[in-house]
Amino acid sequence: MRNIATLLLLGGLSFLLLVITGGLLFGNPPMLIGQGIQQAAPTEVGAANIVTAVVLGYRGLDTLGELSILFAAATAGGLVLGSTRGRSGRPGGFILRTGVDLLFPLMLVAGLYVVMHGHLTPGGGFQGGVILAAAFFLPLLARPQESLDHTWLSVIEALAGSAFIALGLAALFEGRAFLTPLFDHGVLGALVSSGSLPLLYLAVGLKVGAELASLLVRLSADDEGAS
Amino acid sequence: MNWAIGLVMFVGAVGLSVIGIAGMLMSNHLFRMVLALAVAEAGANLLLILAGYRWDAAAPILLPGHSTQAMVDPVPQAMVLTAIVIGVGVQALALSLVIRVRQHYATLDMRVARQRMQDALDQAAGVVPPRSQEGPAGERPLPAPTRTIEAGGPHD
Amino acid sequence: MTDVTLAVVLPLLGAFLLPLTAHRGLHWLGMLLGPALLALAALLLFATWTAFESPYAIALGGFAPPLGITFYVDLLGLLFALAVPLTSLLLWPGGSDEAAIRQQSLTLLLAAALTGMALSGDLFNLYVFYELAAVASYGLAASSATGPAFVAAFRFLLISALGSVVTLLGIALIYFKTGTLNLAHLATLSERLADPQGLAAFAMLLIGFGVKAELFPVNAWVPEVYAATGKRVAALLAGLASKLAVLAVVRILLLVFPHDEARQLLLLLGTLGVLSGELAAWQARDVTRMLAWSSIGQLGVVLVAFSLPGKAGLIAGVTVAMHHLVVKSALFLLADRWGGAVDRLKGAATASPLGAALFVLFALSLLGLPPLPGFWSKYLVLSGLAEAGSGMQHLALGVILLGTVIEGGYLLRIITRLYAAPERDIVPPAHRFPNLFASGLLALLLVAGAILIDPLWQGLNTLAASATDTQVYVQTVLGGKGITR
Repeated sequence: MRNIATLLLLGGLSFLLLVITGGLLFGNPPMLIGQGIQQAAPTEVGAANIVTAVVLGYRGLDTLGELSILFAAATAGGLVLGSTRGRSGRPGGFILRTGVDLLFPLMLVAGLYVVMHGHLTPGGGFQGGVILAAAFFLPLLARPQESLDHTWLSVIEALAGSAFIALGLAALFEGRAFLTPLFDHGVLGALVSSGSLPLLYLAVGLKVGAELASLLVRLSADDEGAS
Repeated sequence: MNWAIGLVMFVGAVGLSVIGIAGMLMSNHLFRMVLALAVAEAGANLLLILAGYRWDAAAPILLPGHSTQAMVDPVPQAMVLTAIVIGVGVQALALSLVIRVRQHYATLDMRVARQRMQDALDQAAGVVPPRSQEGPAGERPLPAPTRTIEAGGPHD
Repeated sequence: MTDVTLAVVLPLLGAFLLPLTAHRGLHWLGMLLGPALLALAALLLFATWTAFESPYAIALGGFAPPLGITFYVDLLGLLFALAVPLTSLLLWPGGSDEAAIRQQSLTLLLAAALTGMALSGDLFNLYVFYELAAVASYGLAASSATGPAFVAAFRFLLISALGSVVTLLGIALIYFKTGTLNLAHLATLSERLADPQGLAAFAMLLIGFGVKAELFPVNAWVPEVYAATGKRVAALLAGLASKLAVLAVVRILLLVFPHDEARQLLLLLGTLGVLSGELAAWQARDVTRMLAWSSIGQLGVVLVAFSLPGKAGLIAGVTVAMHHLVVKSALFLLADRWGGAVDRLKGAATASPLGAALFVLFALSLLGLPPLPGFWSKYLVLSGLAEAGSGMQHLALGVILLGTVIEGGYLLRIITRLYAAPERDIVPPAHRFPNLFASGLLALLLVAGAILIDPLWQGLNTLAASATDTQVYVQTVLGGKGITR
């Protein structure tokens, strides 16, 4: 009975959605704002990666909201799980420990590279931040007893988030709108270009890295005796 | 040929969303509900990405010498980036709640957890639940959370 | 420096910095930071309100409107935005331990997100702020750290996340058909959305934003969360957060979907909400869940009011929404110690005469006793429905009247218990002072509303006139006249 109900629901829902999406034009989007952004972005923002120009420039407030959502999730996770939980488990074997030791600096470099080149190539603060978080989480898999220092994580969280807002407020104090990109655009495609965008992405990368690392640490910790 | 590719894409997006939504509505296993949520979000993100796709267009990155080429709409890509990060946060929070629910009620079955919650709320409010007049359901002491209790069979 | 974006940004900054005060000997700073920033945000919005001349838009990041995100500042948005810091200040969770600081951080995030929802003029930005408010409220819902709270918060999260997925699908549909996200730009393209696909997109957005607005099919989380969590959180979610979600729906309805079908859909779901909420409240036997179900019913009335076309609908909707904000927040505050079974309340009036008197005042206003503002708000909705005249509206009128009768039944049930003789000398607990103080302030606001009914009516008329004028919105944002920077 249950299976039949499931099938009916699945069928009905997908039929409905397919009918709705069936009439859509695929491959020829109207691009009313997309076109405008593509034309204006190189001169207005100066980032070679137009997605970055959208993420940090045109829709910068969305990115701030998104950082806040990650922060809210980490804070709520801390509220739910508490931060005084112990860690236990056997240390990893020789191969795991050595591999982690070798990987750690490489992942750090890769993460920072992806963050710093976000305005030129695919990638950026979010992707790089995830790599950074993984780099700091890996040693915990190899040596479960050693805990990451929560104090430092929360300091980085707070300061990186505040730096993003401070860059936005700096424009406001100059008499322009919140989150207006600062500084000169520089040469399109150069590492030091597109004004304050690399700084914003650095803040995003650190924030995302710290946020995800603290979430991972909290989720992987276990309570005294339970589970 | 193009319409076939479009059809496959739409079926993929709609299919993922529907599978995810159905999983969230039909499953009673807390962890599977979180997984279903992840699947549904993937479907919605795919549909969003499709909204900006253009035939014969390049990724929206300016390379020296290629500046005249048509590019896909960058806005949906930025939106999907945002939506993915939001999804990650929500799923992490959901998982931490699952951990806590399991510690408190020693179960991963939504029906059981919900029943226990209702009983606890009724008791705290001083309202006698109607069903306790028929049988002693919900009056049992809660078992201590241990590793051996696995809620929901493999076919649940 | 009276840029209203600061009202969104300052609470965010405070939320980021607040956890730092937990580590060092900075507890005094932590205690002050949140309330100070909220008060600053409220002052800023109030200054904008008093200096308000005509609607204007703020192009965030300095990018010309359809491309970048815009904030739209008009009286409707400012009214709801002003309510956010004031209410969060009134319902501020005190304390200075680690859990309390996290809860305060989440409250600041919620306030920032709700203010953003009131001001934002961009569809996807609305979604982002809505999600921020949602994630913050999951945390707040679980903040009492009991088993029931965790289960309730998880169910809330799942229902809300399902709504978000559906909203994203709706946004994707709209983007497919129009290629833009700016509400003013969408308003000029609204004919493109006047077909079944467009209506489907509206239904999806309605379901998504409706989760927090306690809309009929997606409100199963309401009684559990409000019963399992602290009553201040319940007041914040039922009183404040639901209103801002409604405002988001109203903005989308007015600008992007000015079609009759969309209004009919809102009317239908609102009517079902009234019916199901009031009936379930009648069945409930403890005060908290009675209030929770009845808040579903009253939000149904709010949605029905906003579904009425034109100025009359907007005036009725704003009145009902603001009235519910004040009354439901206060009732939840009063239910903090009286949340249990109705029968336990016998003799509560002897323990806390002021609390009981306040409860009666709010209950009577909720019912719609004539001199109180509740009467006027209900009167506006009912007369609007009677004038609008089609069969659907008359049905809604009948349902709301029936709902009022049921409401009278269960509220009187509580009131009679309050003034009954105590049983076996067990006197229910008196209220804590902060809750009594906060609800006393709200009662003063209510009485002031009853006395100042004339100037309020004038103000509402100008507010509604500018809010329903889509042309003004479009020209302000896209015409380049009212853009700052």
